[in-house]
Amino acid sequence: MRRGIPLIVVMALVMILLAIPVVQATAVSKVEASGQSSSYRNINLTWELAGPAVEGDGFHIMFSKSPFANASNATLHSTVFTGPTTALAQPVLGEWYDDCQSSTGDGDWVMVFRGENGSAVVPAGTVAIQCDLTGMPAGEEVFLAIWSFDSHLISDDLSEVVTATSTAVDELPPDADTRPVWFAIGSIALSLVVLLAVLGWKERTAQGRSAMLYVAPALMALALLTFYPVGYGIVLSFTDANQSALGEQSFNGLDNYVEVFGSAGFLRVLGFTLLWTVVNVFAHVGIGLALAMALQGRVKGKVAYRTILLLPWAIPSYITVLIWRGIFQYDGLFNGLLGTQIDILGLPVPAAAAVIVVNIWLGFPFMMMVISGALQTIPGDIYEAAEVDGVSTVSQFRHLTLPMLKPAIVPVALLGFIWTFNMFNVIYLMTDGGPNLWFGEPGSTDILITYVYDVAFRRGLYGVAAAWSVVIFLILLWFSATYMKKTNATGAVV
Amino acid sequence: MSDLAIRWFIPLELRILSGMSLLSCALLLVVLLFDYLRGDYDSMLIHWLGMLALSVMILTSIDHTEEGRTKRRDMGLITSGITLACGITGLFIRGQEYLLVDLWAALVLLIPGLSGLYLLSSPVVSRWVDSTLERAEAEAGLARNRLLLPKWQAGLKHVVLLHVVAVVMIPVLWIIDVAISPGDALQGGTLFSSPTGEHFSNILGGENFWRWARNSVIVSIGTTILGLCLAIPAGYAFSRYRFKGRGAMMFTFLLVQMFPGIIILVPYFMVMKSLGLLNTAIGLILAYSVTALPLCVWMLKGFFDTVPKELEEAALLDGCSQFGVFYRIILPLSLPAIAVTALFSFLAAWNEFLLALTFNTSDEMFTLPVGLASYISATDAAWGDFAAMSLLVAIPVVLLFIVFQKFLIEGLTAGSVKG
Repeated sequence: MRRGIPLIVVMALVMILLAIPVVQATAVSKVEASGQSSSYRNINLTWELAGPAVEGDGFHIMFSKSPFANASNATLHSTVFTGPTTALAQPVLGEWYDDCQSSTGDGDWVMVFRGENGSAVVPAGTVAIQCDLTGMPAGEEVFLAIWSFDSHLISDDLSEVVTATSTAVDELPPDADTRPVWFAIGSIALSLVVLLAVLGWKERTAQGRSAMLYVAPALMALALLTFYPVGYGIVLSFTDANQSALGEQSFNGLDNYVEVFGSAGFLRVLGFTLLWTVVNVFAHVGIGLALAMALQGRVKGKVAYRTILLLPWAIPSYITVLIWRGIFQYDGLFNGLLGTQIDILGLPVPAAAAVIVVNIWLGFPFMMMVISGALQTIPGDIYEAAEVDGVSTVSQFRHLTLPMLKPAIVPVALLGFIWTFNMFNVIYLMTDGGPNLWFGEPGSTDILITYVYDVAFRRGLYGVAAAWSVVIFLILLWFSATYMKKTNATGAVV
Repeated sequence: MSDLAIRWFIPLELRILSGMSLLSCALLLVVLLFDYLRGDYDSMLIHWLGMLALSVMILTSIDHTEEGRTKRRDMGLITSGITLACGITGLFIRGQEYLLVDLWAALVLLIPGLSGLYLLSSPVVSRWVDSTLERAEAEAGLARNRLLLPKWQAGLKHVVLLHVVAVVMIPVLWIIDVAISPGDALQGGTLFSSPTGEHFSNILGGENFWRWARNSVIVSIGTTILGLCLAIPAGYAFSRYRFKGRGAMMFTFLLVQMFPGIIILVPYFMVMKSLGLLNTAIGLILAYSVTALPLCVWMLKGFFDTVPKELEEAALLDGCSQFGVFYRIILPLSLPAIAVTALFSFLAAWNEFLLALTFNTSDEMFTLPVGLASYISATDAAWGDFAAMSLLVAIPVVLLFIVFQKFLIEGLTAGSVKG
């Protein structure tokens, strides 16, 4: 047994001797960092090596906002490898977020090479490397160190930690000038007070005067928070207001409207909006009418039916829409129940059908309740009279029920039209306008309102979005006016 | 007279059959759509055949004329047979792996097929077909029709209603299933088999739910209070006083209700941004209370109209001031109405999505709707947690809605019909 010990010692010595040339990474001898770089959020880091780097050496640039003694407490910024550089691209300064240069000691700095995956590569023999590191926390002290490793990743070595602060700090745009808004609000409030005071002063009775006082708060709120924004929106539609220059917009004439009517998707999105609205309103009224008729009179379990059929209206719509989105997922309930494999929300036509079905599901209870209420006001004896005269059920429906329901259905259908036209939740939460979403264009299921949302809050073009809004408003106004004229629905108001 | 009874009498069975076939045809349209979606063209052919047979059955079963009754009866029997055969074939063509839908599709054909064979071979139909009915029989048959037809019609009505109920309930049951199933399984195939409370404890144990709920409560209560403070006096003035500009003002309130939200959204956002009200509760409260204001004013005006004017006049005579009348008599009397209006504006604020999404973009200030939607993003969908949270959010709202449905619907429809 004793003879074994020297053998082990010898073997261990040999192993250590063999290992030394392999595991030794070229040590970093000196690190310097400076935040005096000219560009934004930059820190310049230079490190010198104890000897010329050999192939396989690598350097991780680590940084942190607090001092660290262990690489695992810091964040990796980028890595520089040592290796053969022939056939590698050599980009120019400013193309990368970690523009590095290397020197072999002759005083010349050479741009690093880039491997296929973009890793920085310096030639063997390099003795110093400097990097411009972008994306550092602005205006804060940053701690940096080089974590060098060798080709076998056996040894590693963290250099001393240096600190630097990038000179540039976040330059936020100056606060938007809020004076015009306050001025507008103030002047509207003032003129309303004057108007009401004049009206009140002209009233003969104390009653009339106090009426002005009672109405004033509501009118004021309406003027400031509805009419003012609407007017402001119309003004905005003639300006180049956008996300980055709030409050500094200037008038650009009809440019926004030219963009709206000239945009590639205008007719397509308008077409889908009309299809969406018309199909939905007809389905809502039709299904609502059918169910209201079915629940008319004595039906067993009427209360239970009504309560269940009210659910789509009672459950908040954002929840049900998301539930339907889950049902229509590729691995969702719809495909499960039917045994199909259709990517419903990923294909244009099925997605359009799905959003329409969901909105029909959401909207019929309201129509059902309205029509139910109207049905109850129809006196029962006219049906008895019709029965006696031998009028068939179909004719009774066409010539008695429908005409009697018309005064209730006509205004509610208009309201349904406006609501559906502006139904944001369903499209936004189901498909977000997709599929086929390309930047700057409406997707396959975008309706006008969801597209305007995209224009305003994804692309930040407030002026263009305002122009879209005005166009939508004019379409609705034109439609409502024509509809009311055609159906003589203007009575019964006030 | 005798002729009349015999001429007018059509056996109940035929009416039932035509109604049933009509319903089946309508349902078969859905079945055909499903077949198309599955790409199962064999089943589609079978179902299409069944539909054709049913259409023939409808055409043959409604007719008063005496000629060709035998032929039509035979035709009806044949088509019933075909329908039945189609139903059975349709079931077998799916082989071993038929789903619930296939069973339903088969029933849509089997029920009218079977009832066709049964009803058309009944003795009354046979005698009617042979035109050998006695007068007394025809009169008894007419009486029977009058008695039984409504019951059968009610039965068909229930079938239709149950289908609608199924369509309404499927998403509801599914979300409950997802909420209590482990993981994020979407198929809901487990069907309540291994219930777990993990998602509920995730939601109730996390910070998000409570933070968003707090935001929602603050915004909704603020909206309710501010909205009522604005709406009650205005509604009262519109109901009780006649003054210059009343009509114009009321029309203004109506007009605003017709405004699409979108035209206000962008300028609203910019105004709120200028005033530094983005990501605050106040911004949303201001916006919501004004959005709901017109409807609240109209609802309250309607309620105040029902308070008798004599009460006020008596109080005025007794020396009560104008404001005293409003404060001491009108307000206490219309407290229930005010409660309903309050509930309405609370629910409207609680459920609002678009403005909350636009104004409050910071996670800290999300309201429940926006927070809930953030669980289902394009990149990541935590369906289980989402389901649990939606149940927590929806159940109180739905209960409130159902308990107060009569008042809410009255107020809403009154407002909307007038608007």
